[in-house]
Amino acid sequence: MTTPAQPTTTHVRPNYMLIWLYLFVMTIAEVLLAFELPVSRNLKLILLLILAIWKALLVALFFMHLKFERWRLRLIFIVPLPLAAILVTAVIMEKVF
Amino acid sequence: MTHATQALDQMRPPHPAEPGSGVYSNKLGMWVFLASDVMFFTALIGSYIVLRFGMSSSWAQPAAVLNVPLTGLNTFLLICSSVAMVKAYAAIADGKKYFLRQVPGKTLQDGGLKFWLLITIICGAGFVGVQVFEYIKLVGHGFTPAGYREGSLLAEHALADPVKYGAGVAGMYGSAFFTMTGFHGFHVTCGVISMLYLYFTKVLPEKYSPQDYRGIEVIGLYWHFVDLVWIILFTIVYLI
Amino acid sequence: MTSVAHAKPAGGAHDAHHAPMSFWRKYIFSTDHKIIGIQFLFVSLFFLLVGGLLAMQIRWQLGFPGKPLPGGGILPESMVSGGVILPEYYIQLVTMHGTFMVFFAIMPLLVGVYANFLIPLKLGGHDMAFPRINMWSFWLALVAGLIMLSGFFMPDGAPRAGWTMYAPLSARPDLSGATISQKLWSISIVVLGLSSVMGSVNYITTVINHRAPGMTWFRMPLSVWALFITAILAVLALPVLQGAAIMLLFDQTIGTHFFDPGAGGQPLLWQHLFWFFGHPEVYILILPAMGMVSDIIANGSRKPIFGYHSMVFAIIGIAFLGWIVWGHHMFMSGMNPTLGSTFMVSTLLIAVPSAIKVFNWLGTMWRGNLRFHVPMLNAIGFVSMFTIGGLSGIFMAATPVDIPLHDTQFIVAHLHYVLFGGSLFALFAAIPYWYPKMFGRMMHEGIGKVHFWLTFVFYNMTFFPMHIIGMGGQMRRIYDPTIYDFLKPQQPLNEFISYSAFALFAVQFLFAFNFLWSLKFGKKASQNPWEDNGLEWSLPNPAPHGNWAPKTPNVYRGPYEFSAPEAGDKDYLPQYTKLPTDRDPVPAPLPATH
Repeated sequence: MTTPAQPTTTHVRPNYMLIWLYLFVMTIAEVLLAFELPVSRNLKLILLLILAIWKALLVALFFMHLKFERWRLRLIFIVPLPLAAILVTAVIMEKVF
Repeated sequence: MTHATQALDQMRPPHPAEPGSGVYSNKLGMWVFLASDVMFFTALIGSYIVLRFGMSSSWAQPAAVLNVPLTGLNTFLLICSSVAMVKAYAAIADGKKYFLRQVPGKTLQDGGLKFWLLITIICGAGFVGVQVFEYIKLVGHGFTPAGYREGSLLAEHALADPVKYGAGVAGMYGSAFFTMTGFHGFHVTCGVISMLYLYFTKVLPEKYSPQDYRGIEVIGLYWHFVDLVWIILFTIVYLI
Repeated sequence: MTSVAHAKPAGGAHDAHHAPMSFWRKYIFSTDHKIIGIQFLFVSLFFLLVGGLLAMQIRWQLGFPGKPLPGGGILPESMVSGGVILPEYYIQLVTMHGTFMVFFAIMPLLVGVYANFLIPLKLGGHDMAFPRINMWSFWLALVAGLIMLSGFFMPDGAPRAGWTMYAPLSARPDLSGATISQKLWSISIVVLGLSSVMGSVNYITTVINHRAPGMTWFRMPLSVWALFITAILAVLALPVLQGAAIMLLFDQTIGTHFFDPGAGGQPLLWQHLFWFFGHPEVYILILPAMGMVSDIIANGSRKPIFGYHSMVFAIIGIAFLGWIVWGHHMFMSGMNPTLGSTFMVSTLLIAVPSAIKVFNWLGTMWRGNLRFHVPMLNAIGFVSMFTIGGLSGIFMAATPVDIPLHDTQFIVAHLHYVLFGGSLFALFAAIPYWYPKMFGRMMHEGIGKVHFWLTFVFYNMTFFPMHIIGMGGQMRRIYDPTIYDFLKPQQPLNEFISYSAFALFAVQFLFAFNFLWSLKFGKKASQNPWEDNGLEWSLPNPAPHGNWAPKTPNVYRGPYEFSAPEAGDKDYLPQYTKLPTDRDPVPAPLPATH
């Protein structure tokens, strides 16, 4: 195999068990929010989406190591997101019409 | 090694090339593939969002049709498998190729790559198992890709309470639900099979080392992605 | 067939690093990018022939409706009755002509062949980043093509909802009449998408990570830039089509209702998903052609490409804008008018980078020492035909103009000007240009020139009048224009187009003959027959297995140093030639494997 010349950006390894705890707590929060809490439907929607995106970001940044990668690599994952947003937005505008 | 891998190793440029992305090709390739997978799930999940958004008032309440607590548990199982995956990655980075080792001065044993990857596989397979179980239950109750099956339990409930059960658009719900979760489950299954393959061909014979554990990192990226998609799916399909 | 694997490279050790491979490993299940490119070439040319044969039948019916098809007796009664093409068969012809040409001819010819063949050669690599995935990509594409072809042999015939497969017609076998073949269409598309994505992952990774020392981003030839950007488009667009095809398949098989309006589904959802893929797809079909034509025009003009950086940014601009114009295929669908206006603006905008490219090609040729070799002739043909196709596109970009023109032959004229006049002419340029690199021989120049001129004349005679009959109101995909009184006066033009099309098809046998004959009897090629600057010309012809292995070439300059003073008495200065004033590029350290 090829011999590596230098390691990737050196950084403090994140506390994976702590991240796991955050994810666990947020999942509980989401389920509770969906069922129990007497909040308005729209607020519930927004909070649930925020929680979901936050969890996804935790996985992406820490488990998938993106927080410590260079921008060029992050770009690869970021690029499809606006495209997805454009498609969904356009088709929703269609349905609204 | 097969002829192809032999040739591949010897065909790598002996002189390094232009710096490029700065990450090795397998990882770059996996990230590009994951970007394409984002677009695939966009087509499916986006369609669900669009269909639901257009008829939000007549859509069923997910909790009435789906088993949200069980799936919440399943979500947790998948998150656990993701943590186990990253622990496996950290283990091989530290050179821990073993299964379990007694750490002097501590009661808890220290897990190596073999241990954590096995946990990942078990949790991943468990997720698929629970999903299959859920599917069987749902179809038994009458929730199919075509909507509520005639004469089933859910169809009766829908007659009694059309609003809560979204009687008019149950076909859409069934269509979107089974397609999205089905393909996600397919991705999980492919991940489990790949990890099993790596486990027996590379991990057990201790072929990975702290100098080269590319396969673990690359399969880890795929696995975390599958978890990430589920996090989004669970919220959008089961909770909202 | 001339072998690609036997020639010894120019200097030093060659393929002594592995034992001799069997015929199967060397030519059939090869992981060598050059062999895979050649495999794609033969398979795609076959599908191009299939598409052409379908087109001939379409032109027969449109030119001479109701007259028996010559040789129609060999077709079954379900397709031709008494030799006359049936409407059910006609709509299959139209659908499958589009499907085969777009998915199995032009796309693999441009991307499957040239991305595979050129990228490692032009960047100084030994092979792609993932050779085995590359092999799988080819075999999956072939399997997808065969699945699609089998549709014709199914009891109910081939799919017939148009190449765009609009739902709910495509989702309802009881309405369209195509049962098994429609499902096979979806499966074929999913498999092809997989092949495309695998290939694109390979191309992107190779271009980013496997460039030889000195090959910086802005020293890459435009063909590689175009193929790289095309791969990015493919990797993001194909999965959307796969998702849509799966939803369509499920609608037909397991009873889902995505596109069924009766159950709450949305037919327009299909159109949005399809065209969200479909528009980047057409840029996938043109960008590699533009890139290769840039290389060939610079070579034929003996001048650097005019405005290299703006050419790169134009490619990026076209790719970027290409994501937000898809609605211009749907102006008449009844979609939200606000969306319609947005798409009109973005579509008009996309003309700008395309125009920049056309002006830059002209600027390259201006006052150049023009060499009218066969690739150059076809490349210039590309520029002029693409310009016409682009201009008709501007007409349709304006929504009010599109209202009478949508789904008429005007659209058919436009798409054929950009796909045939554009992509196919670019292929007629690229195939002879890189033929020596593939097979070690030159294609016959004389036959090539006759083929070009005859093709050019008959092509314009076939497709230009389509603009006229389109504006006169002849719709797309109709079986018999003469059933409408207002179309009857145009029927002589239809006949004229059909005669020209038959001649055009016949002329292509010159190309096919040239291609096949030259494999064995073509003039043996010198090392750099076109006196070009690309890295690939530093290798012998045909290029050996492993390319430069075990060495890697150094790159000292950009790809278009024609007529450079430093070159002395030669009018070209290759990228790999080291002048006394050049320093060796400093190689970068390998990325860590963890």
